[in-house]
Amino acid sequence: MVIHPDIGSQLVNFCSALLLLTCFAIIAQRRLSACVDLFALQSVFLAVTAALVAFLTGAHHIYIAAALTVVIKAMILPRILKAVIERLNVTRELVLNINIPSSLLVCGALVILAFYITQPIISLGFLLTKDSLAIALAIVLIGFFTMIARKKAVTQVIGFLVIENGLFLGATAAAYGMPLIVELGVFFDVLVAGLIIGIYTHRLQDTFDSVDTTKLTALKE
Amino acid sequence: MNLALIGLIAAPLLSALLSLVMKSQGSMERLQCVHAAVLLGTMSVVVTGAGGGAELTVGNFLRTDALGAFLDLMLAFVGATGLLYALGYMGEELIRGHLSLRRYGRFFCFLNLYLFAMLLAANLDNIALMWIAIEGSTLSAALLINFERTKTALEAGWKYIILSFVGIALALFGTVLVYYASEHVLGVRWEALQWSELHRVASDLNPTALELAFVFIVIGYGTKAGIAPMHTWLPDAHAEAPTPVSAMLSALMLNLALYAILRLKSIVDPAVGTDFTGPILLGLGLLSIATAATFMLIQRDYKRLFAYSSIEHIGIVLVGFGAGGPVGVFGGLFHMINHSLAKSTAFYAAGRVLLRYGHKNMEGVTGLLRQMPLVGGAMLLSTLALAGLPPFGLFVSEILIATGAYVEQPWVAYTFLGLLAVAFAALVYQVFRMVLGEPKEAGIIMTPGGNRFAAVSLMANLMAMGYIGIHMPGFLSDLFIPMTRIFNSVSHG
Repeated sequence: MVIHPDIGSQLVNFCSALLLLTCFAIIAQRRLSACVDLFALQSVFLAVTAALVAFLTGAHHIYIAAALTVVIKAMILPRILKAVIERLNVTRELVLNINIPSSLLVCGALVILAFYITQPIISLGFLLTKDSLAIALAIVLIGFFTMIARKKAVTQVIGFLVIENGLFLGATAAAYGMPLIVELGVFFDVLVAGLIIGIYTHRLQDTFDSVDTTKLTALKE
Repeated sequence: MNLALIGLIAAPLLSALLSLVMKSQGSMERLQCVHAAVLLGTMSVVVTGAGGGAELTVGNFLRTDALGAFLDLMLAFVGATGLLYALGYMGEELIRGHLSLRRYGRFFCFLNLYLFAMLLAANLDNIALMWIAIEGSTLSAALLINFERTKTALEAGWKYIILSFVGIALALFGTVLVYYASEHVLGVRWEALQWSELHRVASDLNPTALELAFVFIVIGYGTKAGIAPMHTWLPDAHAEAPTPVSAMLSALMLNLALYAILRLKSIVDPAVGTDFTGPILLGLGLLSIATAATFMLIQRDYKRLFAYSSIEHIGIVLVGFGAGGPVGVFGGLFHMINHSLAKSTAFYAAGRVLLRYGHKNMEGVTGLLRQMPLVGGAMLLSTLALAGLPPFGLFVSEILIATGAYVEQPWVAYTFLGLLAVAFAALVYQVFRMVLGEPKEAGIIMTPGGNRFAAVSLMANLMAMGYIGIHMPGFLSDLFIPMTRIFNSVSHG
């Protein structure tokens, strides 16, 4: 089956846009476990986008990366995070540095910024995935912002994972995927990073009896 | 020679695995001594092999040119003395009952993995695999910084994790952008990520994509290198990590992160021209020196003092590369190796002081020269070197960098020298108060075994530092000539 390139490009863009949408949903969400669910959903969208690119370009190794995304990011990591949340009993409302309406406005501005930055090099890209690089950068910036705007250690972790999703979208869509060994290495690193952050959150809870990172203030000039 | 390269990288990995099954302190000491000897032996073969512009390659994966061999030299030498020092330091903690034999074994496992990841990163010929290896070193460092499990160590570790994970993610985005630019020239294949190929086609790559990539990579790896304003994790991590780890962070990891930035610079310059990367590095360099000099004046904690001094010296290297030209580049590279030796010596000495007094407060430490002559002497000498006094190599490199900067922009040279004067005064004032005078506290007497290891590592570092300060050995100049060529093939084009 051959799909017309324009339709293919529309499909990829649509899926990338869904990824971006889930970012906004994460920002707008107050309940921690719902944030984790949204992250899992975003990872599924990411896998669909990757599979779509693999199908349209015939780059079969991207299928493997898509499958790994589903297993690691949509299944294993959310489960670890949920276990941490349950143990720490932090399902209550999130502590915010910046309230939700202004957060959403900032994120809107970040999306515009991302499109502005990538404008000069977008023309370099393949027809199929033209706008995905801008969307990927927008997701990275929003993940960045999530880490700054939320106080709880777990939400900072979600921010970090959102950044990773953005990077993966960038690599898959804009460059038709890195070589397989690189993708595998990146997955391994993300998994280990997730585990180490998990260990740290446990220790934070044990030592400070809280995962509120604003309590970490002993070290300063 | 290729075998030596593989041996150099595999030795720490093997030793990391063996560390987990060691049953006693004695067997661990034997294992790590053998490991250190293997590192030094294989490194010297690799360095001689890569001298004079030759390259060592293993398949498509590993490639060691002069710059890679230069990193290997630092990583293996300071890595080896650091291992010996760690045997003394952690052995002391073990004998005092501060940690169990199991955690002692784990410490060496993490430390060796850390060394493995860094050696791998310095020799990989692939920009994305290098990212993976650097991320690996970040992960193992995260475990090491929090090793003592105190509240403050946890805080320092958390800051490090958050900042450097974000940083490294941005560096990956930069890497993707490089690939995005290179696949148009080289096609969607493995070679489009190889340093050697990227270097070959550098002038054909899309300049805008590379400019964007460079910005992301400077912010990303710059966070790991402790460049201001992304340096905030660095003093905390250096102060709270076990001291052998502080030495390795300062002397090795910062240089590795710089290495990644410099490699990319050698690709970006031919495509964009030095007018783009130069001012960025110069600006960040001067900002780092200024920040560090200010904070050094108000420090009360001697490990934090040396940590800020590292930020200063990373800034000096950046000014050297930012000013460019053969003189600036040579100065920057020479500064890297001398700083690596001097700073690890300073941390080794600081660690002995910490073991003796049990606190890091400078007020309580006086008369080191009388109480602990070797440690006090080493601290004094390394401070004089770090402050940039002759006959040490840092004096030579700072003069070279100032000259290089003067040729480009006289005001940069004046600012640079002014800031260095402040940093000089701050460091010398603070350290002299510790080493001179009468001892105040008796402290805890240390075991002869620990003292022996510390003495060997301190003496080895001091001798190496003195040697290359006075006379440039042949194997080193064989590396410097091809290295300066890597960075200056561009300025004529």
